[in-house]
Amino acid sequence: MEGIWDINKIQEILPQRYPFLFIDRVISIDVAAGNVTCLKNFTANDYFFTGHFPGKPVVPGVIMIEAMAQASIIGFAAIKPEIANKHPTYYLGKVEAKFKKAVTVGDQLIIEVHKEKIVNNAGVVTAVAKVNGEVATEAKIMFGVILNNSTDK
Amino acid sequence: MSDVSNIGDYKAEIKKLVADIAEKSPEEIKDDAKFSEDLGIDSMMALEIVATIEKKYKVIIPEGEIPNIRSLQNIYDLIGKLIVK
Repeated sequence: MEGIWDINKIQEILPQRYPFLFIDRVISIDVAAGNVTCLKNFTANDYFFTGHFPGKPVVPGVIMIEAMAQASIIGFAAIKPEIANKHPTYYLGKVEAKFKKAVTVGDQLIIEVHKEKIVNNAGVVTAVAKVNGEVATEAKIMFGVILNNSTDK
Repeated sequence: MSDVSNIGDYKAEIKKLVADIAEKSPEEIKDDAKFSEDLGIDSMMALEIVATIEKKYKVIIPEGEIPNIRSLQNIYDLIGKLIVK
C-alpha cells in the first residue's frame, strides 16, 4: 500500500474533467502486485440519470466502462509515473466486458484494476467494479498511450 | 501450466491463442505470416498476445522483445528460449 490519492492528485493524472471524471478517490495502490483500487460515488445529481432512465436511474454501461478505463489510467500512472507525469494521450483499444448487476443512485462503486501487462505505450488490465462486494461489471481493457510533443498540458 | 518439455507441444496452443485474438481460424495463420502485413495484427493486439502468453505460461516477456514479435515463428522462438530447458 502506498497511500491514497484525493481528487486533486487524481486530476493531476487523469485528463478527464466534470462531467466526465468518474474516479473520486484512489483507495490503494500496490505497484509490486500491479493492483490499484479506486472509488466512485454515484448520486441523484449525476446528469445521465435524467435520461437513463426517467424514474429508474441506472448507470449506463458505457460509463461503467469509462470509470474502469479511468481506473486503468491510474494503474498505468502508478507503474509508469515518469510517463504519466508527461500527460500523454490515453486511448481505448479494446474492451471485453460483462455486466452482471445494475448500478444506481447511492451506490458506491469500488473498482479494482489488476495489471496483466503494462509497457511504455500501452497496457492490458483486468478491472472489476463492485458494489457492496458484489461484482457489477468486469472487463479486460486494452489501451494505448501516446506521448505528446507538447509539454504544456 | 503444461508439463510438456518441447516447443512443438506448445505450437498448436499458441497458434490458437493468436488466431483468437486476430479473429481468424488457426488454419489461416502460417508460422511465417507477418502479423502486421498479412494478418492485420496491430501493436495493441500484439500486446494482448504477449499478455495472454505471459499469463498462460507463467513467463515474463521483456518489453524490449515485443517489437521483435512479428510472426508466430518469432513467438515459438521466444517461448522456446523462455520455457523450454
